[in-house]
Amino acid sequence: MELQLGLRSLPTYNFIENFDLNNDGFESKDQMLGSKPWISCEDGNYMDNKRGFEVAFGKNIEDASRELPLLLWSGQPNDEDDWDGEKKISCSINKNHAEENQVEGWPPIKSWRKKVLHHDQHQARHIMNSTRMTAAGNYENGDGSNSKYVKVKMEGVAITRKIDLRLYNSYQTLTKSLISMFAKCQNLGNDAARYCLTYQDKDGDWLVAGDVPWQSFMESVQRLKIARNAG
Amino acid sequence: MNYFPDEVLEHIFDFVTSQRDRNSVSQVCKPWYKIESSSRPKVFVGNCYAISPQRVIERFPGLKSITLKGKPHFADFNLVPQDWGGFVYPWIEAFAKKSVGLEEIKLKRMIISDDCLELISRSFPNFKSLVLVSCEGFTTDGLAAIASNCRFLRELDLQENDVEDHRGHWLSCFPDTCTSLVSLNFACLKGEVNLAALERLIARSPNLRSLRLNNAVPLDILQNILIRAPHLVDLGVGSYVNDPDSETYNKLVMAIQNCMSVKSLSGFLEVAPHCLSAFHLICPNLTSLNLSYASGIHGTELIKLIRHCMKLQRLWILDCIGDGGLEVVASTCKDLQEIRVFPSDPYIGHAAVTEAGLVALSVGCPKLHSILYFCQQMTNAALITVAKNRPNFTRFRLCILDPTRPDAVTNQPLDEGFGAIVQSCKGLRRLSMTGLLTDQVFLYIGMHAKQLEMLSIAFAGNTDKGMQYVLNGCKKLRKLEIRDCPFGNEALLMDVGKYETMRSLWMSSCEVTLEGCKSLAKKMPRLNVEIINENDLMDVGADDRQKVEKMFLYRTLAGPRKDAPGFVWTL
Repeated sequence: MELQLGLRSLPTYNFIENFDLNNDGFESKDQMLGSKPWISCEDGNYMDNKRGFEVAFGKNIEDASRELPLLLWSGQPNDEDDWDGEKKISCSINKNHAEENQVEGWPPIKSWRKKVLHHDQHQARHIMNSTRMTAAGNYENGDGSNSKYVKVKMEGVAITRKIDLRLYNSYQTLTKSLISMFAKCQNLGNDAARYCLTYQDKDGDWLVAGDVPWQSFMESVQRLKIARNAG
Repeated sequence: MNYFPDEVLEHIFDFVTSQRDRNSVSQVCKPWYKIESSSRPKVFVGNCYAISPQRVIERFPGLKSITLKGKPHFADFNLVPQDWGGFVYPWIEAFAKKSVGLEEIKLKRMIISDDCLELISRSFPNFKSLVLVSCEGFTTDGLAAIASNCRFLRELDLQENDVEDHRGHWLSCFPDTCTSLVSLNFACLKGEVNLAALERLIARSPNLRSLRLNNAVPLDILQNILIRAPHLVDLGVGSYVNDPDSETYNKLVMAIQNCMSVKSLSGFLEVAPHCLSAFHLICPNLTSLNLSYASGIHGTELIKLIRHCMKLQRLWILDCIGDGGLEVVASTCKDLQEIRVFPSDPYIGHAAVTEAGLVALSVGCPKLHSILYFCQQMTNAALITVAKNRPNFTRFRLCILDPTRPDAVTNQPLDEGFGAIVQSCKGLRRLSMTGLLTDQVFLYIGMHAKQLEMLSIAFAGNTDKGMQYVLNGCKKLRKLEIRDCPFGNEALLMDVGKYETMRSLWMSSCEVTLEGCKSLAKKMPRLNVEIINENDLMDVGADDRQKVEKMFLYRTLAGPRKDAPGFVWTL
């Protein structure tokens, strides 16, 4: 998925290189591959006074740093924002991305339609992902992309709880909440130090929570376990 | 005719419904002008700043239906700043003050506030129909006012508006006594609706024929609705995510089968594609199908659906249907009149259809006269073939995603191709073009496009001659919008009188300078020449030789508008 996101951030006219698979009958591939001026012409005179698309475009093809904003997009929760907030984040990031990499107002599609289509794809990916996950059996999704429920088991406690990870934005807020949640059934208090938070990742491995950045954790966590520290 | 009493003339004029015809009638003689004006029920104002509401009311005291358009077309593509204008409040205020018996309001690209909606709901006791297209500035609170107070509301149609959703209760505001609804479209609302209130509303609306739901209406509710409203003619499905093995789905299939009167289908804002087959049974009845918001449907599913749509006249679809899918459309939909093919992923800069799909449609669909086609590439040969096959085009809009791309096979400009279109399609009224285009194509347009009313150009032409050919030759031109073309003052000032025969001219990122615009404004006092300058780069003492980034001019009887924001400078 990241690769897809990465591709999307390339400037528009680079796609001529990437998609020339579609141009079966197209002879002048080398023109399209950037070795010749991007707007080709046999006799140059009709190009002279023209304000070309690439002039309006004005961006450097090699500027790959544009990829980063989109990669950040995939899953940074913001616990103050509700569903609308997340939509706004993704929409505005992509709007910035779109404005950076494309000519203003091009292609001529109603902005309302652009938003709907983009949101659709975001949703579609989530529906696809959550159906995949449910099939795998160890991950339950809430109602679409605005929640991420995982099971939390505390060692020694019979009842497994479920929490929505999207309500948190850091390890601190998560552990604080877990402590207060489980303190009700155990007298934790000072005993909190004797426990550590572990999680099972996508590969099925159990790891200690806190080693990887929060975003990576959010993407890979399948379930949580509050384990007693040995000794 | 002079001996007919007024009432008879009025009765005869009742049969004349189109605005153009009524305009003609009113110009025959003074008595006819008087009678026609006093009895005209429907008024269309293509530019809300062209005339003042007071003058409209004065001339048409019997006004019952008003259509107003605000922002220029390019505002759809974010080229016009949000607060540029197009406020409808002054109009509504004027109508309310004069107690106009308004029953119907249609707005496009205008700004309408909640206060304004409230004013509408309280000022016109017979108010029946509100249609808002691409508008903004209001919230669901405003809709609540309409629902609460318009006792005889028949139509509430919201198309692609930017509505701030306060989640709500607006649907519950329709009183129990409201049973008059014929058309309800809230597909563009993003928030939740009170589902119980929705079901109750539908249950007490026996005349409901058109219903378009938003995303928040789940499948089981849809199913209940379809059972209660079997006479629906137009259905917009909101969310269509379901599990083909579930009981809900089976019930839904049965409910859909009951809706044999549905002729128009749209929506699918969220969709699980495998369940589309539920609709196959009603597809043979469809004359209109809009799947252009449904990016979750794969090409193969679309094709399966299309194969059942033999009576389709209007199709809006995404390009993931592919050239192959368009061939299926061409062989199945023999009654097709209008098609729009949108790119599934506007950000990615790649379209999944080419000239092949366009040619297939031109071959297979003899009644096709209106097309909007976003594609990856085009060739002159294809356009020439299309022109030969389909001389009946009235609207031809082609958008190659890469706007200056030449002929994909010969690398030549697409002048000849578009030239063939304008030469062959003698009834062409609307044209937009992309691709590598020189002054030559404009020469063709000036020579042949005699019925052309609206032309949209981007990244085309070489010299001022291009624009001059168009202004000279297209006698019926009403709207011209140009972006990123090398047209400058010489073209702009060639025939200043021409602009009074047109509704408006938009030019952005061209070669026109402040001096040229000032000169034009001076010569033509009945034009508003607006310079839209968002970056505050221009001020009164600005250098006249500076190029103007965005200019919008329009004819008007109302003088320079008083509601222009700071960044709009009327010369």
